[in-house]
Amino acid sequence: MLIVGGGLAAQRCAETLRRGGYEGPVRIVCGEPHRPYDRPPLSKELLAPGADEAFPLLRPAEWYGEHAVELLPGVRASSLDHEAHRVELEDGSALHFDHLVAATGARPRTLPEFAPYANVSTLRTLEDSRRLRELLEEGRRLVIIGAGFVGLEVAAAARAVDAPVAVVELARQPLGGVLGAEVGDLLVRLHRSAGVELFFETEVSEIDGGERVEALTLSNGVRLSVDHLLVAIGVVPDLGWLSSSGLPTFGIPTDLGGRSALPDVYAAGDAAAFYDPFLERHALIGHWEDASRQGAAVARTILGEDPAPAPLSSFWSDQYGMRIQYLGHAALADEVTIEGDLDARDFVAHYTQAGRLVAAVVVGRPRSVPELRDRLSYLTETTAV
Amino acid sequence: MTLIPLIDAAACSAHGDCEDIAPEIFRLEDVAVVIDDGPDELMLAAAQACPSIAIRLIERESGEQAYP
Repeated sequence: MLIVGGGLAAQRCAETLRRGGYEGPVRIVCGEPHRPYDRPPLSKELLAPGADEAFPLLRPAEWYGEHAVELLPGVRASSLDHEAHRVELEDGSALHFDHLVAATGARPRTLPEFAPYANVSTLRTLEDSRRLRELLEEGRRLVIIGAGFVGLEVAAAARAVDAPVAVVELARQPLGGVLGAEVGDLLVRLHRSAGVELFFETEVSEIDGGERVEALTLSNGVRLSVDHLLVAIGVVPDLGWLSSSGLPTFGIPTDLGGRSALPDVYAAGDAAAFYDPFLERHALIGHWEDASRQGAAVARTILGEDPAPAPLSSFWSDQYGMRIQYLGHAALADEVTIEGDLDARDFVAHYTQAGRLVAAVVVGRPRSVPELRDRLSYLTETTAV
Repeated sequence: MTLIPLIDAAACSAHGDCEDIAPEIFRLEDVAVVIDDGPDELMLAAAQACPSIAIRLIERESGEQAYP
């Protein structure tokens, strides 16, 4: 059993295999020089002061020995020879497999115009997060490109230590507008009242600097000085190692059990596009919960079990002590109604399509989540239209 | 110890926050499971931390739901 990629999907796959009685060897090619760790804290609590020693391991070091799971940290796969059932590694060695799980996750999108500068980074790894935390603690002026969850969470972390921060977003709304104008506007108000400079429908028109970005001129004429620039404009599947395998490198389509088009090759996590029975297509999701369930689903398939039912799509975000809980498919909605008080951070946003609930955002009302989950459970049923 | 913790297995996504907060009460398997009783405050902290809101706390005496 060979798992390429050492994140959440890989960990859940290995755990579920061992719990299900799988007795063959299990190897994880980690890529990063670490044991599998949890990424959501990288843009949340790990940016807080004093988090310098924190290491969000998914399982303690001894777990791997106790469960006979072999970790190969710091090694990346370079290619797949499917016919020979072999994965070549960047260090020149090769590993045989009976079952292969492609769980290499995603890498951050970058912007070529910022490539030459030293003070530009993305946020995906523990090292990225630690570097950013140090910059924030020094009170450096941060400019963030992109008002998605990562960009907004980092902006909130910057204000928590009083570091100056500006966010530049091409779209009209934060989070790609997927949560609608009301919830988007609430987030904008929260960030502005915390002292974040936010610019929408704006792009960078001029970069000043030599080895480092010193200042930016935006398309609205505003000039921003820059100590550090964070590019947070989403991720793409990290599948370069499969470029000659015949599998698509923009995300590996799989069935509900994680099987790819190649026999004995499975995919899970951000690199996988599981079939979504409600949307009736393969979908790249990229949420924590999907990576977790997909890793377990692949293990069940290999154990000869049926996959667990497709989960309801959901995610959460913490900003300024406010937990935002999201369920369903808000992109399908044609109407949003708010019940409660947005500014009191106590509300449920109902997203409906032709009057039918398709998604919900809950803030400050955890009690309403189980009922909403029930009402949205039809989204996970294969027969739903 | 007046609260009884219940896990909604369909809602639990195995985040593991409950186990991090109260390893003597919760253990992470395919989903989280309750392995023992514990102080109410600890159970409440674990239930509130759960990103999936998959932990329900029931009052032992009255049977009423204390969380969420």
